[in-house]
Amino acid sequence: MGETSSSSHSRQDPCVLGYGFHGAIANSTPANFFDQEGAAYFGELEETFMHQVASLTRTQQAATTSIAHHGDIKPFPTAATVTAATATARPPPTLDIFPAWPMRSLHTPKEGSNVTADSTDDSESSSKNNSNHSSDQHGAAADMQSQFDQVSQQQQLQHKNMATSSTPRTGKTPDRKQTIRRLAQNREAARKSRLRKKAYIQQLESSKLKLAQIEQDMQRARSQGIFLGGAPGANTTSSGAAMFDVEYARWLDDHGRRMAELHGALHAHLPDGDLRAIVDDTLTHHDELFQLKASAAKSDVFHLITGVWTTPAERCFLWMGGFRPSDLVKTLLPQLDPLTEQQLVGICNLQQSSQQAEEALSQGLDQLHQSLADTMAGGSLIDDTNMSFMGQMALALGKLSNLEGFVIQADNLRQQTLHQMHRILTVRQAARCFLAIGEYHNRLRALSSLWVSRPREILGADEGHCGEISIAAQASQSQFSSF
Amino acid sequence: MQYAAAEQAWYMPAAVAATTMAESAVASVERLASESAVVVFSVSSCCMCHAVKRLFCGMGVHPTVHELDLDPRGRELERALARLLGYGPAGSPVVPVVFIGGKLVGAMDRVMAAHINGSLVPLLKEAGALWL
Repeated sequence: MGETSSSSHSRQDPCVLGYGFHGAIANSTPANFFDQEGAAYFGELEETFMHQVASLTRTQQAATTSIAHHGDIKPFPTAATVTAATATARPPPTLDIFPAWPMRSLHTPKEGSNVTADSTDDSESSSKNNSNHSSDQHGAAADMQSQFDQVSQQQQLQHKNMATSSTPRTGKTPDRKQTIRRLAQNREAARKSRLRKKAYIQQLESSKLKLAQIEQDMQRARSQGIFLGGAPGANTTSSGAAMFDVEYARWLDDHGRRMAELHGALHAHLPDGDLRAIVDDTLTHHDELFQLKASAAKSDVFHLITGVWTTPAERCFLWMGGFRPSDLVKTLLPQLDPLTEQQLVGICNLQQSSQQAEEALSQGLDQLHQSLADTMAGGSLIDDTNMSFMGQMALALGKLSNLEGFVIQADNLRQQTLHQMHRILTVRQAARCFLAIGEYHNRLRALSSLWVSRPREILGADEGHCGEISIAAQASQSQFSSF
Repeated sequence: MQYAAAEQAWYMPAAVAATTMAESAVASVERLASESAVVVFSVSSCCMCHAVKRLFCGMGVHPTVHELDLDPRGRELERALARLLGYGPAGSPVVPVVFIGGKLVGAMDRVMAAHINGSLVPLLKEAGALWL
């Protein structure tokens, strides 16, 4: 019997080992109980085995060659071989089955517990399958040989057992069924998780592409927004102004972070080289703001010059769309002590020259105002008479366009003032200077928000409530007076 | 503007119109620029030019001002100035342009930068426009 089955076994193609196995079952009498109890079951599983067998062609061949050496081929061991092949291709958890076989009688109570733990095992083994799948395939072939040596010994043992009594077999059948079922479940789980992983990766790739696309669109829209800034006149905020507001908000956030960094660096007593780098970065950051303002001036000068982008308290100090450089120098002078004689002279000169430049620009702007007023009022001093309305408007438009030149020059003045401060002062003094500037503007902004949120008497309230409200207002005002 | 007439009278008799005809615009500009310590090319209606004039007056400097809109060769001079400054777009105004001691300082932004970084005053002193 063994010979017949072995010959059929060795003759047949490894790919159709499943069929050979099935045929072997039919051929051999000791496998009768299979026909009775397990044939139908094995018929169902056959397809599963086919699948596995096809994928493990190499290992099967190794298996068949090694098995062919041992003449004791039984359907039972062959099935064991097949499942061994499939099982050893997988990581250790499923290989636990092997030691159980020679000790069938002992293992039966364990099987019960194993079945309950099946569900957890499945997930574990499937996840392990996923990770170890590829690595295992290389080690599988090597493992196979050793495993099959083991298995063949077990088979010899089993053969002896089977020859003597049939009771161990009946104990083995439900175990085998469960084992095979568990293996099938493992395979399914492994396959599912592989598919899930593939789907996830595809999703990631597609969203990466989408993100790149969106970034590109945003860049394009932003650049177009700058050009189209002048077009929408009906809107209260043109796109240029809106964009500037967004960029300014971002600049403020960045500024806050840099101030904190500078503060930390200053008090950590870093070497001058490192501090200088941070201070230079801060100066560059201020330059970036002037760049932003320059492009905003080209698209919407009134947004800058009316100070809509600043807070109320800052707005009351506004000069030509920003801070007044000479005022800033005057404020900073007492904060920068101690200064050398040379530095003091330099800063006083800076204050004077910035004041003169401011004066010049202010007078230029005054002239622009005057000229514009004259144009609007009717006849102009220099030009010809008979001016139509549209002609007047055209003239006025031309004059208005000079406004952006003034704002740009004013920003230029501010930038030059900051750069000159940076040149005159030492690194540590410059750090303190930038911190002082930041803190000063922070306080102005804080003042603005406090002012906006201050409690006020509600006008138009009826008699009954008026008294209460005024009391409440007074109470909170006294609270504020302690500030 | 009376500056040009006053300065011309003090320095030397004004160059005859006939001789300037043969000159190229750039050469004219350079010649005009070297005639005084401080020369400003301006347009009478330009507010920025007014600002730069006020700046010099505030410092006690009396520049020679050439109003291009009142000069018959104004257009050419303006084009020559644009080329000297390296301006590309025709839309932006060229003036005011400042020359000190015959050398080009530049437009308003350069003048202000020079003043802030403290290089304008020595330049003026060197050209003899400032004595204090």
